[in-house]
Amino acid sequence: MLQTAAILALILPLLGFVFHVAAGGFVYRRTVETVACAAILASLIAACLALAAGWGGASSVTLFSWFRAGDFAASFDLLLDPLSLIMAVLVGFISLLVHCYSVPFMRGDPGYVRYYGYLNLFVFFMLAVALADNLVFLFLGWEGMGLCSYALIGHWFHSKERISAARKAFLVTRTGDVAFLIGVALLFAQGVDPSVSGIQAEAGSLPGWTAVLLGLLLLWAAAGKSAQFPLLIWLPDAMAGPTPVSALIHAATMVASGVYLLARLFPVLALSPAVLLCIGAVGTLTALWGAASALAQRDIKRVLAWSTLSQVGFMMLAIGAGDPAASMFHLIVHAFFKSLLFLAAGCLIQALDEEHDIFAMGAKLRHRLPHVFWPFFLGVLALAAVPPFAGFWSKGRVLSAVLAQPGAGYAALALAASAAALLTSLYSFRLLLLAFFGRPARTDAPSPESVPLSTAWVLWPLALLCIGAGALDLPGHLGASNWLTGFLASAPGVPPGPDTVSETLITLLDTGLALAGLLLALLAYGPAERFFPRVPEGARFWNLMARGFGLEEASTRFIARPYRSVATLLWLRMEEGVLDRTTSGAAALLSRASSGVRLWTTGRLSTYLLMLLAGLTLILLVAAGIWS
Amino acid sequence: MIVPLEHVLVLALAVFLLGAGCALLRRNLIMILLGVEIMLNASGIALVGASLAWRDLHGQAFVLFIMGVAAAEVAVGLALVVYAHRRTGRLEADHFNKLRE
Repeated sequence: MLQTAAILALILPLLGFVFHVAAGGFVYRRTVETVACAAILASLIAACLALAAGWGGASSVTLFSWFRAGDFAASFDLLLDPLSLIMAVLVGFISLLVHCYSVPFMRGDPGYVRYYGYLNLFVFFMLAVALADNLVFLFLGWEGMGLCSYALIGHWFHSKERISAARKAFLVTRTGDVAFLIGVALLFAQGVDPSVSGIQAEAGSLPGWTAVLLGLLLLWAAAGKSAQFPLLIWLPDAMAGPTPVSALIHAATMVASGVYLLARLFPVLALSPAVLLCIGAVGTLTALWGAASALAQRDIKRVLAWSTLSQVGFMMLAIGAGDPAASMFHLIVHAFFKSLLFLAAGCLIQALDEEHDIFAMGAKLRHRLPHVFWPFFLGVLALAAVPPFAGFWSKGRVLSAVLAQPGAGYAALALAASAAALLTSLYSFRLLLLAFFGRPARTDAPSPESVPLSTAWVLWPLALLCIGAGALDLPGHLGASNWLTGFLASAPGVPPGPDTVSETLITLLDTGLALAGLLLALLAYGPAERFFPRVPEGARFWNLMARGFGLEEASTRFIARPYRSVATLLWLRMEEGVLDRTTSGAAALLSRASSGVRLWTTGRLSTYLLMLLAGLTLILLVAAGIWS
Repeated sequence: MIVPLEHVLVLALAVFLLGAGCALLRRNLIMILLGVEIMLNASGIALVGASLAWRDLHGQAFVLFIMGVAAAEVAVGLALVVYAHRRTGRLEADHFNKLRE
């Protein structure tokens, strides 16, 4: 039952993809859409059944053996424990809503077969990452997601910048993937079975330096997929794809997979406090970086993209604080509100005829599109961590996990994370006030068309979850019992949450941060804005923030450009200068030599006969000379 | 043998040179074939002479073979010439120079 359901949950999206590839071109558009959604729906149901059947326990199932080389064997096997099954359900749920939303959203797009095919394949690969036991199988899903994200970000491949955004996402995440592969090789070299269960069983036998190296490699790999510092430059550009794809990449699949990998392989990370602190530092830095950059964006999707970076930074921080359960809690909650915000933003953009600028939106949207406004409002409250919305509980859980760790390093991280939380609240309310309340600074924007309920309905389940998902892991001092933490801890590999420090303090701190952000945003962008100096949009520092503190330029300048000049040097000097000139010089020499011989081929029979005779005479004379 | 071998060889050389000259200097395909035949026969004279001088019949047997081969060669060669003439209406050897390219 459990194993059948899990295998079905994994295979069904793949079958959907196969159907689109094989028959998508010959059937009605309606059929393609139905098959795509039905495959995900069935996969979600199967995942739910598997979760119910395998409640609280861990088991594994092998589909079939993949390859075997010497001692090294890789097989398609799944490890079904609470962590992976919850992740599978989450992926299925968010993907289902994204698929349903895509049907009206992509109604006019001619490339729909390709779109749905890759969307289904994307879900398959993510489920493979979520469920896989063998790390090589996991790596297959990991790489497959990179491929699908490339194809989907570049879905509208007629525009050059979209293609380059897709290429960038692919290359930057590949930079991280290399570390994963090295990590797998290192594990194997140390005699540990390269699989999740193997790591859970044998991680303690790793020598110290290997654990540190492995932890750093995994951090680098996760940073690539989860867009953490310094590999974060691909994510804001990944907005070039269709909005449902952004929702899928940002909420449940691509960026979540890095954090999920770290949570899954946590026993390795837990071996070394230095690695944990390093992960926490990377997460905090990204959280601050993304929040500050989100504050200065004008494009609604870019605000959300930078916000994703920042929120994933919080998840990393929780891992770094030794509490993967808190990280998963924030991951789940973030999946709900971030997909909600992206899908709502897609509605706004379509209603405004592809207008992305929040300064062109305003109060008229709130009156015209109540079905989009209210879910968006709830999503922003969850993002800003206003009590009692879901984001409040998960962010509070992360902060308390950090505060529970001793040491000055973690104290600094907690301080920085609090600052990031304040910025988060500030930019989310800035977004809300500019997009839905103010008078638009730009008046040339088209007036909004209404969004049909067939598109907007998917926002409501997500909005309800933004309110209620906090109940998954309510803290102990409210009489609840940290259900999610306990549930995840029922499997090996995920430690129980640390004893939380004074939770009342955390609650107060969190509430204070959210409200302070709201207050600041109201002062700067609210109805009272004319009494205060305007925010220097366009000032130098503001521009720097809008460009993500120049990390993109820095990477262009210090990595891309030197690489390019070295490549150009090798191309012009090495390839063209040495290799090409050697070969073409040899060819020229030969052809010059042969041009003398070519004169002999006159085509005149008599010449040939003469030569034949002369040659024969010569040969015979020489032979006679030798003989006598 | 009454005639000394040297005379026979001089005759064979003269005939061979006549044939070679004919093959080299004439432009007509038939005349070239004719020249080749004469060269073959010159070698036949030399072989018969040598056979008689050394009282060894191998040389004469060789000549019989050469005659057979020459007949076959002439048959094929003439057929080619006839065909070439039908296709192009020409018999000059230098006209057929397409292979040069």
